[in-house]
Amino acid sequence: MRLEVKGLEAGYGKAQVLFGLDLEVKEGELVALLGANGAGKTTLLRAISGLIPPWRGKVLWKGEDLRRFSPARRARLGLGHVPEGRQLFPLMTVEENLRLGAAFLAPEREREGFERVYTLFPRLAERRRQLAGTLSGGEQQMLAIGRALMGFPRILLVDEPSLGLAPRLAEEVLASIKQVTEEGVGVLLVEQNVALSLEVAARAYVMEHGRIVLQGPSSTLLEDSRIREAYLSL
Amino acid sequence: MELLLQTILNGLLMSGVYALVATGLALSLGVVGIVNFAHGEFLMVGAFLSYLLFAFRGTDPLLSLGLAFLAAFGVGALTYQGLIRPALKAPELNQMLLTFGLSILLQNLALLLFGADTRVVAPPYQATTLSLGPFFLGAVPLGAFLLSLAILLGLQVFLTRSRLGLAMRAVSQNRLAPGLLGIEAERVYLLAFGLAAALAGVAGVMLSVMLYASPTVGFIFTLKSFAIVALAGLGNLKGVVPAAFVLALAEALVSTYLPGGGGLVEAVFFLVLFLALVVRAWRLA
Repeated sequence: MRLEVKGLEAGYGKAQVLFGLDLEVKEGELVALLGANGAGKTTLLRAISGLIPPWRGKVLWKGEDLRRFSPARRARLGLGHVPEGRQLFPLMTVEENLRLGAAFLAPEREREGFERVYTLFPRLAERRRQLAGTLSGGEQQMLAIGRALMGFPRILLVDEPSLGLAPRLAEEVLASIKQVTEEGVGVLLVEQNVALSLEVAARAYVMEHGRIVLQGPSSTLLEDSRIREAYLSL
Repeated sequence: MELLLQTILNGLLMSGVYALVATGLALSLGVVGIVNFAHGEFLMVGAFLSYLLFAFRGTDPLLSLGLAFLAAFGVGALTYQGLIRPALKAPELNQMLLTFGLSILLQNLALLLFGADTRVVAPPYQATTLSLGPFFLGAVPLGAFLLSLAILLGLQVFLTRSRLGLAMRAVSQNRLAPGLLGIEAERVYLLAFGLAAALAGVAGVMLSVMLYASPTVGFIFTLKSFAIVALAGLGNLKGVVPAAFVLALAEALVSTYLPGGGGLVEAVFFLVLFLALVVRAWRLA
């Protein structure tokens, strides 16, 4: 089971953002996608899950081209996406938000999903009757991840989960994402927190101006002088 | 004192149907995000359906309720597919002109088919009244009130318990996330718009007995529903019921206490709409 991106080009209006990207994520691995603001990381995730159409190139799921698939259909295939800004349903309870993540599954799977999410994030279980809009930033991020997990994705795209969180909470959230991959889900993690991501991810891609400029195992990247200078300021 | 209580009672009984129609309007506004000036025409479809079934087949309006629900749902769903969906991304003004045009088209189509006369469905129980101490309750308004409440209660359960109902509330709160969760938002819009029309259609059957069926009966209710929705606050479904009561009560008071009040009743909603908007603007300022 793998998600592949081949020669992907995309953008908004006339502005091209992605210039021929290649990338792959397999089940059970945690891959980080690093890069500065405006490098095109979020745009890449949006193109993978079908929110914007590709100009050229392909997104392949088990080798099948996803071009004609709506975002919802991709999600039902097993492609999860925790979008930028969490995009929760603020006037609905934690439990209702989670139920919506399993909206296309059989009811038995829903119960299984609740168990899985509440085990991963016990804090959400405590707040299950609370409105999502009233949660703290960290809890909202947990809910966004939990909601995506309710659909039992095989591959999960996670956009900047540590954004706006205190360092300790950010670590907590990344640790739970690591735990998700240990359960067999492939995760593509977009992050600006390079040090923390390289700590949890097995390998990583580095993006600059819409291109992949560097890739490899996290241990190698941590030694790379360009990474150390540009992102870790060592 | 008795007159006042009787007036309040009359207002209360009318508020159920108002809430039913306005809830439909609030659904299409909140979920689909469309200002639907043709909402009252779905009501008219229900009213004429009830009249035709009664006039030609002798069908009791109580039986027409279910048929009108389905028929109006169908008309609503077709309207969504054919007209609303292609215009979903269009500017708001275009959408409003579109639904306004549809309203005029349907009104004139009804005028052509049925003429301008008002037609009343008069089942044997139409004039039955129940007396409760010193007060009189019309059997039909009472039945319509209870039925409206039951339907709205059912809707509330549907929106909070069923997955489809949850999805309807979800798309009204966030347009991006449902797609990423495997929910086809357009299908949810279709069902929500159909459901909104169906609520109006059912109300139309009730009004064919309480009031009448005519080509323009729907348009008045579109305007009244806008007043109610503005009073409740856009997108606030729960506020619709109390807001409907306020409007119905105001109308009942005007009709009882103002000399020549009968003629002024149809202007009350303008006052309510006006006050709702002014007070809202004050609070924001």
